[in-house]
Amino acid sequence: MIEKYAEIIGENELDAIYRIAEKLKGLSVLHINSTPKGGGVAEILSKLVPMMNELGINTQWKVIRGDNEFFNVTKSFHNSLQNGSGNVNDETFAVYEKWQNINASEIPLDYDVVFIHDPQPAGLIKVRKKGKWIWRCHIDISNPYPKVWEFLRKYVQQYDAMIISSSVFGREDLTIPQYVIPPSIDPLSVKNREISRFTVERILRKFEVDPDRPLVTQISRFDRAKDPIGVISAFKGLKKHIDAQLVYLGSPASDDPEGDQVYQETVKAAEGVKDVHLLMLPPDSDLEVNAFQRGADVVMQKSIKEGFGLTVSEAMWKRRAVIGGNTGGIPLQIIHGYTGFLVNTPEEATHYLIYLLRNRQIREKIGQDAREHVRNNFLMTRELRDYLMVMLLLIQG
Amino acid sequence: MDLDNHFLLYESLLAKMVVLCMVSSLLDQRVRNPFEFYAAYYPPIYAGRKAYTIEELMDSIRKVDGYSIFYHVFHPIFSSHVVPYDLHNDFAFWIRDELHDESLAYKVSDVEGTEPRTVEQVRDEILKILESSQNRTRANKPFHFISCRPVIYDTGKRAWSIGEFIDVVSSITMRSVVYHFVFRRVMGYSSRNDFSTWLEQEFQASTIADRLSKIDPQTYVNEEVLREDILSLIERVIYS
Repeated sequence: MIEKYAEIIGENELDAIYRIAEKLKGLSVLHINSTPKGGGVAEILSKLVPMMNELGINTQWKVIRGDNEFFNVTKSFHNSLQNGSGNVNDETFAVYEKWQNINASEIPLDYDVVFIHDPQPAGLIKVRKKGKWIWRCHIDISNPYPKVWEFLRKYVQQYDAMIISSSVFGREDLTIPQYVIPPSIDPLSVKNREISRFTVERILRKFEVDPDRPLVTQISRFDRAKDPIGVISAFKGLKKHIDAQLVYLGSPASDDPEGDQVYQETVKAAEGVKDVHLLMLPPDSDLEVNAFQRGADVVMQKSIKEGFGLTVSEAMWKRRAVIGGNTGGIPLQIIHGYTGFLVNTPEEATHYLIYLLRNRQIREKIGQDAREHVRNNFLMTRELRDYLMVMLLLIQG
Repeated sequence: MDLDNHFLLYESLLAKMVVLCMVSSLLDQRVRNPFEFYAAYYPPIYAGRKAYTIEELMDSIRKVDGYSIFYHVFHPIFSSHVVPYDLHNDFAFWIRDELHDESLAYKVSDVEGTEPRTVEQVRDEILKILESSQNRTRANKPFHFISCRPVIYDTGKRAWSIGEFIDVVSSITMRSVVYHFVFRRVMGYSSRNDFSTWLEQEFQASTIADRLSKIDPQTYVNEEVLREDILSLIERVIYS
């Protein structure tokens, strides 16, 4: 499986992975997160875990369980860590603790290295028996709501290391090493591999999108952090100038109880605006995502808060010009004016939508540079290598 | 063409062939101690510091470890480490992008990294440049200091002759070239780049060694350009 990446990343890069992995052979590794499907973390793990096994590292992936109350709590944690405000009380923390204890009693944790992904299972560290524990934080914790962060920090500080997606998320109030590892995309997945123009057009038509008219796409959950209302607003501005279409494609995730509500708000915001397609597809609609990114003339990721925003790299890999929110990990992917455009407001997004849709050559040049930037920095093989290196550094002390 | 000219041409070709044969035998001359090619990646680690002003930048530059100076000044050799083509390091990029001070950015960009300088001399020079600045701007986005630790691995490649050395350098991962040619020297693990040391010790090839030592790696922002320059320098010396 890993060898298939040679033609994309080159033999030298692949050789480095094998040689670094050689030093970790026979190790037992566990990844724990909160959802088996939906969202970037599950997607990365579904590829990373088999790859690590292929390299001779005995790797398993477990998903914690919880009830609606627990996932409401962790969603409020997630929001308050990213937004800097929140509404939590002792009961909130008690619910979190209760499910940490339940999961700790159900999941065997005797591994040489344990990766805990995001805040939902972070409290499991309290039952650590052995091994090196790494907290992999996929979200922006640079300006968290203090009460929630203080609660979480007590756990995080007990880890051997933390991994953040960008140095912008680094914390000065932690003494553990904070490795900077951006997430990545799989260029060979159904979502990202080359597909025919025929397939793209067939899928666009299936959802009543006209392949012959300009198309703007945003692929992301119906989540306020992704600013779906701002996307509608930017599109309204565009419609005054160009007869374009908008597809906003999202998927429900089991750990995101707010999704439905935000979807309804977006439907309301789009009332009366022609050519807006709000699609809620199952989490495994990878071919559709691929088609809508390839079928788009411009892709948006107008987040106002973002962990990393992998959909940006997905679209860039497909040589699309992307307009992204100037937040979180998006500026790592979009070098303004070179590999895309960064915006802070819907008006700025409208401006660049018009600019890009009017200038095909610029779109194509940016798309080509964007693809190379992703090849160098945001492919799964790079993330795999980074994980191996962090394990090696921790084990070697 | 008369007979004399024929003879002169023949003599000239013969001389060239003799030189080429000599060069060829020099290139194939095998030594007892091969060059062992290792390579390294440098996983970034948040250094726990950020700066909004020149003053804060200087304060942190004084306090961060040498790996951090290496990461911000020499790691941009790799094209995956994005800096604009006309600026050679992270500090210069931030000074221009956030403090809008082009003149200062160019000075910091062109800090010298040639042998025998290590990150400590580079640190001192950057501080000296910054101390002379009157810039009091406060950036919107801070400079985040990053450090790193090398993860070193054996590539398995060995060169027993200069010819093999050239072949390996022309095809090996640039992670190896930068490790031997830049990292070990600027971090003070050796006083000279590993290539020059080996060529001098094993072949007494002091001309090549000395000229390689004069390449300033700090001014590269694309690893393949560095590879080309190393190879063409060796070629020029050998065939001159």
